[in-house]
Amino acid sequence: MAATPGGFSGKVLRVDLSTGKISTQDTVDRYGDVLGGTGIGYQVLWEEVPAGTGPFDPANKLVFATGVLAGTGVPCNGRTAVTTIFPTCWPQPLVASGHMGGQFAAKLKYAGYDALIIEGRSEKPVWLFIRDKRVELRGAAHLWGAGIRRANLEISQEMGADCVVAAIGQAGEKLAPMAIVANSLSHSAGGVGGVMGSKNLKAIGVQGSGAVRIAGDKDEWEQLIKFHLSILGGNNQHVVPSFPTPQSEYYNPGSRWLGEPGKRWGAAQPPIEITGNIHDLNRIAFRTNSAAFFLGEGAWQHTVRGNGCTACPIRCHTIVKVPSVAAKYGIREIAQNTCVGLLFGRSFFKTLPGGMKGQTALEACMVGMHLADDLGLWCNYGQLQRDLQKLYHDGLLKAKLGSAEYASIPWDKYEAGDPAFLFDILPRIGQRRGELGQVLSQGTAGLFGQWSIPEETWTQDHNTLYWKLGHPKHHANEDDGQCGVIINTQYNRDAQCHSHSNFVRNGLPLEVQKRLAAEIWGSPDCVDGVGDYTPMNLHKARRARWSLVRKELHDSLGLCNWMGPWVASPLKSRGYLGDDSLESKFYSLATGRKLGREELDRMGERIFTLHRALTIRDMGQMNMRARHDQVPGWVFEDPAGAPPFSKGSIRMDRGDMAKAMDLFYKVMGWDKTTGAPTQETYSRLGLREVGQSLRAKKLVPGDAA
Amino acid sequence: MTSEEQARLTKAAVVVVLQASQEGRLTTREDVLQALVSGGIIRQAEDQGDSDDARRRLAGEEAFAALAGILAEHPSLASFQGLSGQTVYHCPDLLSRTYARILDRKSSPPVLMAEEIRANSRDYPRPVPVELFEASPFELPPEEIEHTLRSMAADPQYQDITFTTTASGAVYLFSALYLERGYAAFLAQRAESLAMNP
Repeated sequence: MAATPGGFSGKVLRVDLSTGKISTQDTVDRYGDVLGGTGIGYQVLWEEVPAGTGPFDPANKLVFATGVLAGTGVPCNGRTAVTTIFPTCWPQPLVASGHMGGQFAAKLKYAGYDALIIEGRSEKPVWLFIRDKRVELRGAAHLWGAGIRRANLEISQEMGADCVVAAIGQAGEKLAPMAIVANSLSHSAGGVGGVMGSKNLKAIGVQGSGAVRIAGDKDEWEQLIKFHLSILGGNNQHVVPSFPTPQSEYYNPGSRWLGEPGKRWGAAQPPIEITGNIHDLNRIAFRTNSAAFFLGEGAWQHTVRGNGCTACPIRCHTIVKVPSVAAKYGIREIAQNTCVGLLFGRSFFKTLPGGMKGQTALEACMVGMHLADDLGLWCNYGQLQRDLQKLYHDGLLKAKLGSAEYASIPWDKYEAGDPAFLFDILPRIGQRRGELGQVLSQGTAGLFGQWSIPEETWTQDHNTLYWKLGHPKHHANEDDGQCGVIINTQYNRDAQCHSHSNFVRNGLPLEVQKRLAAEIWGSPDCVDGVGDYTPMNLHKARRARWSLVRKELHDSLGLCNWMGPWVASPLKSRGYLGDDSLESKFYSLATGRKLGREELDRMGERIFTLHRALTIRDMGQMNMRARHDQVPGWVFEDPAGAPPFSKGSIRMDRGDMAKAMDLFYKVMGWDKTTGAPTQETYSRLGLREVGQSLRAKKLVPGDAA
Repeated sequence: MTSEEQARLTKAAVVVVLQASQEGRLTTREDVLQALVSGGIIRQAEDQGDSDDARRRLAGEEAFAALAGILAEHPSLASFQGLSGQTVYHCPDLLSRTYARILDRKSSPPVLMAEEIRANSRDYPRPVPVELFEASPFELPPEEIEHTLRSMAADPQYQDITFTTTASGAVYLFSALYLERGYAAFLAQRAESLAMNP
C-alpha cells in the first residue's frame, strides 16, 4: 500500500518464538477482506495451522487482533479478539476466540499494529516488548511463577507507566486449558492463557506513541460519534432505566441502567453523588454500576467508580472497595470486574449467609476476583462453578476423587458458605494441584475426558446450563427462544453473542420491540415475549443470522458485542429506534472506503462462514447438523412438564427446532441436510478458494458421493 | 383579546408549564394563571389601574378562559384529567406521560400502586417487585405499601391486583387482568435470576 488508510494502523506484527524472528505484514493487503479481530484470526488459522493441530502444539498460533475502529473515538471500541485452537473444546480442540477489553487494543494500534500473530514456542520464558517499531523478546524467568498483578507491575516499572500489559498467571504457565490472559488487570480473554503458557510467553507489554488516522470528514466523524453517544443506554444497551424518570416513558426494574440522581459512589474519596439529568451525554458513565446490579443495592456504598475500556462511556468494570476483606482475608480491599468475573467467587456457592446479595456474597466476590484475576483462572462463563456444585452435591466428587484428597478439601467451609473456602479451591485449580486441580483446570472437558462422566449427565440436567463441546449456553432459549438456540449451536465454545439478547432485554415494552423489529428485520413476528414463544418462522431465522453476522462484525471491527448492536435507543424522539447502519457509517468514515450496511454485513458473514469452514475442516466432517450444531436435552424438557409453547415455559419443541435449523441454513445459503455452506455460498462471500479446498476433501455438499 | 395578546399569553403560559415540567411538577390551569398574575402578565379583577402598564395586562377572567384552549392545543404540551378531577398539563419531552401519571397518583397510594402494576402487566408484560414502590418517584414507606396492599385486598376495585413469590422469597405484584398467574410466576423468577445470568 502506498499510504496507510484510515482506521487501520497498517501493519500486522508477527513474532516467531521458536526462531525469535520478528516481522510485519501489510494489514490491508493481506487481511483487508476480513477486517481484523476474529476475521484475521480465522484467516491465519485457515492458512497456517493445519487440521489436527493441538492447542499446545508449537504449530498452533495465537492471534491477538483488534479492528478498524479500535483506538478511535468510537464508543465501546476497546476489544481485542484472541483466536486460536481452543483448549477447552471437547472432544476435540477446534477454533475459537477469547475476547478482552481494556486498553490493549488501542495501545497496539497506537504502536502501529492491527494485530499480533504469535507462533512457535520459545525455549525459555519470555515476554514481548513492543514500543512502536521497537519489538523485542525479553527474558521472563523472573516473572515465571508470578501472578498477573506482579507481572503487570514488574513490566510496567520496566516500560513506563503508559504501557499496557497483557499477562498470564500460574494457570497459563501450567498449561491449564481454563486459563486467561488479562490486560489492565481485569480485562481477560478466557481459554487462551494456556496456549500462551505453552509458548513460554508470559506477557506482552505495549507502548504506542502513534494515533489512528480517520480518513473521512472530521466534522462528520464527530457528529456521528455524538449521535452514537445519544443512542447509548446502560450496560448491554439496556435503553430504559431501572426506575421511572421524567425523561422516559418506559422503565424496567431488570435494566442494567441503575444510576439515577441521588445514588452515590459511596467509597469514592470524597463520595460522589449522582446529580443532574441522567439522560445527558455527560452522565452516561453514571448509568451503569455492575456491582449494584449483580450484588444488590448495598454495593453502592462500596462503589469507588466505574472503570472500563478505551473510549467506552459505559464503564462496566465497577471498582469496589470492601475494607472488611483486608482484615478478614488479608487481601486488597479494592477490586474491579464485571459479569462473571465479578461473580467468580460467589458463584461457587449454592447458598451464602445473608443471601446472594449480602455482605458475605460481596466478600466472596472480592476473594474470587483477588485469586482468579491473579492466578489467571477462567470460569468458562460460570461453568466451572456449576460443575463443582454438581460434582459435590451429586456425590460425584466423592466417588471420583481419592479419599485422602477429598478429605483435604475444607468442605465444611463450602457448606457454611465461607469465602475462605476459595483460598483452598482456586489455587488447586489454577496451579493444577492434585487430581481435582488437574481435572477442573481442563474445564468440563476434564470431567468427560479424564473422569469418563457421560456428557449426557450434563446435557440432561437443566441446572448445569451446559450446552455442548465442553461449554455452556450463552443467552439461549431462556432469553430468546429459537433465535437463542440457533445462535448457541454455532460456536465451538459458549456463543458470546449479545446481538439478540441485548435487543430482547433492552427493557422496552413488547409492543415497542415488535414495532422496532418490523422496521429492522421486516416483521414483528421475529421477536416473542420471553417465555411466550411462538412456532418458528423465517423472520426469526433472519434475525438469528443478523445476530451472528453482527457479532463477528463487532469482533472484527474492535467493537464491543456486549454493548452493541445499537438498533434500539433511549430516544423517544426516534421512537426508540437506534441505528442499524452505525457500523458501516463508522467504517466508511474511518477508512475512506464507503461501504453500505449490507456490504459490511457481507464481510461479517464472510468471517462467520470462515469460522464454519475451519470447523468443518478440523472436524473432518461435513455433517455439521448432526455432529456439531447440537442442542442439549434439557432444552426440550420443562421441569414442571409443561409442553412447548406454553406461556411461562422455555421448553423448545424438537420438530420446531428442526424446522428452525432448516430455515437458518436456508437464509445462510447452507445445505439443509448437513448444515455445511455450499460452494455457491463460499463463492458469493469471496471464499471460493476456501470452498475449493474443502471440496477437495469432500467437505462441501454435493461432492460427498 | 387581540391576536397579539393571544400570542403573548400563549408564550407566557407555555413557559410556565415547561418550567414546571423541568422541575418535575404537574401544572393546572389555576397554577398557570397564578404564575402569570405573579409575573405581571395578567391583571387581577381588582387591578383596574389607569397606568399604561396595567392597561397592557390582560384581564384575568378572559385570560383564564383562553388558557384552556391554549394549553390544550399547544403541540409541546399534553394533558390528562388528574385524580383531583382537574385537568393537569405537562410537557412530555421534559416530563413523560408515565412519570406525570405517577406524580398525579401519589396522593392516592392504592391508585398509584394498582395503576402502575396494571400498566406493567399489560404493556411489557411483567410483574413488578414490591420494592419498586419504595424507590423514587413512588417513595412509599414499606409500612404504607403493606397497609395499602392489605386494604386493596379487601376492595372490590382492586381484586385483580395479586402477587407471586419467587423461590428466594421475593414478592412480585401483577394484575390478573393482564397476566396469567403461571406466566407471572415465570417472569418473576426470571427477573430474580437476571443477576445470575450475565
